[in-house]
Amino acid sequence: MAVPVTAPAEQARQVSARHFVRLKLRVMANNFRGQGWRVALFLVGSLIGLWFAVGAFFGLAAPGLIGDDKYALMIAAFAGGLTVLGWLLLPLVFFGVDETLDPARFALLPLSRRTLVTGLFAAALVSVPAIAVLLALSGLVVTAGVFGGWSAALVSAVGVVCGLLLCVAGARAVTSAFASMLRSRRVRDLAAVLLAVVAALLGPLQIAGLAAIQDTNWDRLGGLATVIGWTPLGAPWTAGIDVAQGRAWAAPVKLLITVATIVALLAWWSRSLESAMVGAATAGPARARPRLTGGVVAQLFPRAAGWLRRDRFGALVAREARYWWRDARRRANLITIAVVGLFVPVMVNFGGFTFDSEQGFSAAGNSSPVLVSLSMLFVGLLAAVTLANQFGFDGSAYAANVVAGVPGRLELRARITAFSLYVLPMLAVVAVVIAIVIGEPTWIGFMAGALVATYGAGLAVNSFVSVLGAYSLPETSNPFAMNSGAGVVKGMLTLLAMVATGALATPMVLAAALLGDAWLWLGLPLGVAYGVGAALLGAYLAGDVLDRRQPELLALVTPRR
Amino acid sequence: MTGEHPALELRGLAKSFDGKVAVAGVDLDVPAGSFYGLLGPNGAGKTTTLSMAVGLLRPDAGGARVLGQDVWADPVTAKQMLGVLPDGVRLFDRLSGGELLAYHGLLRGMDPAVVDKRSAELLDVLALADAGRTMVVDYSAGMKKKIGLACALLHGPRLLVLDEPFEAVDPVSAALIRDILQRYVAGGGTVIFSSHVMEVVQRLCSHVAILAGGTIKRVGTLEQVRGDRSLEDVFVEVVGGRTATGEELAWLSR
Repeated sequence: MAVPVTAPAEQARQVSARHFVRLKLRVMANNFRGQGWRVALFLVGSLIGLWFAVGAFFGLAAPGLIGDDKYALMIAAFAGGLTVLGWLLLPLVFFGVDETLDPARFALLPLSRRTLVTGLFAAALVSVPAIAVLLALSGLVVTAGVFGGWSAALVSAVGVVCGLLLCVAGARAVTSAFASMLRSRRVRDLAAVLLAVVAALLGPLQIAGLAAIQDTNWDRLGGLATVIGWTPLGAPWTAGIDVAQGRAWAAPVKLLITVATIVALLAWWSRSLESAMVGAATAGPARARPRLTGGVVAQLFPRAAGWLRRDRFGALVAREARYWWRDARRRANLITIAVVGLFVPVMVNFGGFTFDSEQGFSAAGNSSPVLVSLSMLFVGLLAAVTLANQFGFDGSAYAANVVAGVPGRLELRARITAFSLYVLPMLAVVAVVIAIVIGEPTWIGFMAGALVATYGAGLAVNSFVSVLGAYSLPETSNPFAMNSGAGVVKGMLTLLAMVATGALATPMVLAAALLGDAWLWLGLPLGVAYGVGAALLGAYLAGDVLDRRQPELLALVTPRR
Repeated sequence: MTGEHPALELRGLAKSFDGKVAVAGVDLDVPAGSFYGLLGPNGAGKTTTLSMAVGLLRPDAGGARVLGQDVWADPVTAKQMLGVLPDGVRLFDRLSGGELLAYHGLLRGMDPAVVDKRSAELLDVLALADAGRTMVVDYSAGMKKKIGLACALLHGPRLLVLDEPFEAVDPVSAALIRDILQRYVAGGGTVIFSSHVMEVVQRLCSHVAILAGGTIKRVGTLEQVRGDRSLEDVFVEVVGGRTATGEELAWLSR
């Protein structure tokens, strides 16, 4: 065989998944270098994750430890199924995926798609959540082992590992596909609808689940568990239990289902990955804008902000308002608020729905002002916590405001105003819709009051968090991407901000519990006053801090290259 | 006031990142009305120095004054007289060019009518009028530099600080930027810009400073620094470049 002239002198060495894993670990380590507080937050977050994992481990091992195999299958199917669902949906709604290794960076390297996907997949497995889940679900191995001996334990262990692979592959495939949808401006509305539908499915599922539990009809649940066990959601987790309970023939079939699903998910991921690598730079053609009236100042101000004065405050609000819509990352957050804000209260307050055969599907009327206030509190703090890294959204572009010497208080007030242009109407819709759905229209007033109060208190808290605890977001167009390490850091900060906000907003719940009917009238004015006052005070105090550390903040939000 | 104070005065500016020294004590006087070139190889500390001079990065030691006003003690007054084009910094690129100009103008406290008028002129002169409605994120590299320059010029600053204004700019746009800057200096403004392109510096600048390894190696008027040699020779000598002997990289030629 003739050797071509251009053949490399030595054979190129095979790139394996090991390289990607080492690259990821190295990038993570470098991100931590010289940032003590990041390491500390990462450790604390990891410990909390471990704590929950150990708790879940014993929960899942419980049937085995107690020696009662009646519920073994049920626990495996439901806990495993919920885990898979969580991995699929939570990254979309809350946490984002770790894009330490941005696929776009590999676009120029001579790697086959197969190598790239397996490598990125292996790297994705090296993460705290993946390890925690592996640890937690290993409880199933104990259960299987107690009832079925070594063979069942072995099958169960294989099943759990396959299940973890399924979770990670699913999370990657779904976020990657969703991200490439959001990237294109044309289908972004479709994507929003899709997310809404997915979240909407959660509601009825939970209602059905709660109703079933209330019925304590364990036979029906057992049937459901068997069905789930044959879907990809439950197959990997129940294989070991099947062996233990004498259905050894089922185990290979279930493992086959799992593997086939993983392969399908990886194939799907690899397709959307291609578009992420090639199409990352272009966001589709810019839309032609028909209106040509007025000067540049008139262009800057969106119609919803047209009432603002044409001064510094107005410019800041107008720019922020445009950004909440034009920046895919921010838009994804707005969609999340809208969807979760509507469905969580429905789920919480519909816990009392029953499937009584004579009454049909009706509210049992056990929704109380306190419960409603609590669910409103959740929506309010979820909305406000979106601003916890508001400067991180800007990235290095924030330099423009530093150079112009924008006073901190003005800056924060303007950001709060712009965000509220979107959020306050949403909150109003939430209050009205929920009040009507639970059949208590007179509650609209204090529900809106609780919403605004929590939202305002949350704005105050998050003004501080955003100034003191900012972190940089990677400059990719994936709205779900974030830097490694930042994942745990982000979670901790978000949690802190939510707890503080919740504490600040508890007076609203207490008032709802104690004041009775008077609260129906007092709730709205007092709540709004409390919220607006808290937000203004927060912007006033945090603005002072911002004035002193503008350059430091800029350094924090500038991505390191 | 202009007569008494240099347009930009840097005293002992120093900065290190994670124990690695980036700038080790820079003293520099930029006389009012000068066209000042800050030369240096990659990683010499040009961007760090200019960032500290305009208040984007807090120095470990030393200070900066713009026309006598301390940038760090009295930032508001100093920043009013400054126009800045930072390098490697994103603009608010999800605004269109016109919107970005309006934002910068209003942020500087300008009258909306003046913002409209000047923006229209700037977009016209910089040949960006057609792209006025395209988002900046979709601009080419040269267009981004031009819109950044327009934002820095909009409020009529006394001192322009430009980091790599000619990087990644095509010759036509570069010529345009040169013309505008020369007119600005002729009209009494002061420009300091960083670059590692010798021809541009040689053609434009009245004063030159060569920065390497975080310290100023040569400083003075163009003639003083250059002497009777070419600026490039001086630069390579100061920075300590090397030339390939031909032994290494033999595999490049087959």
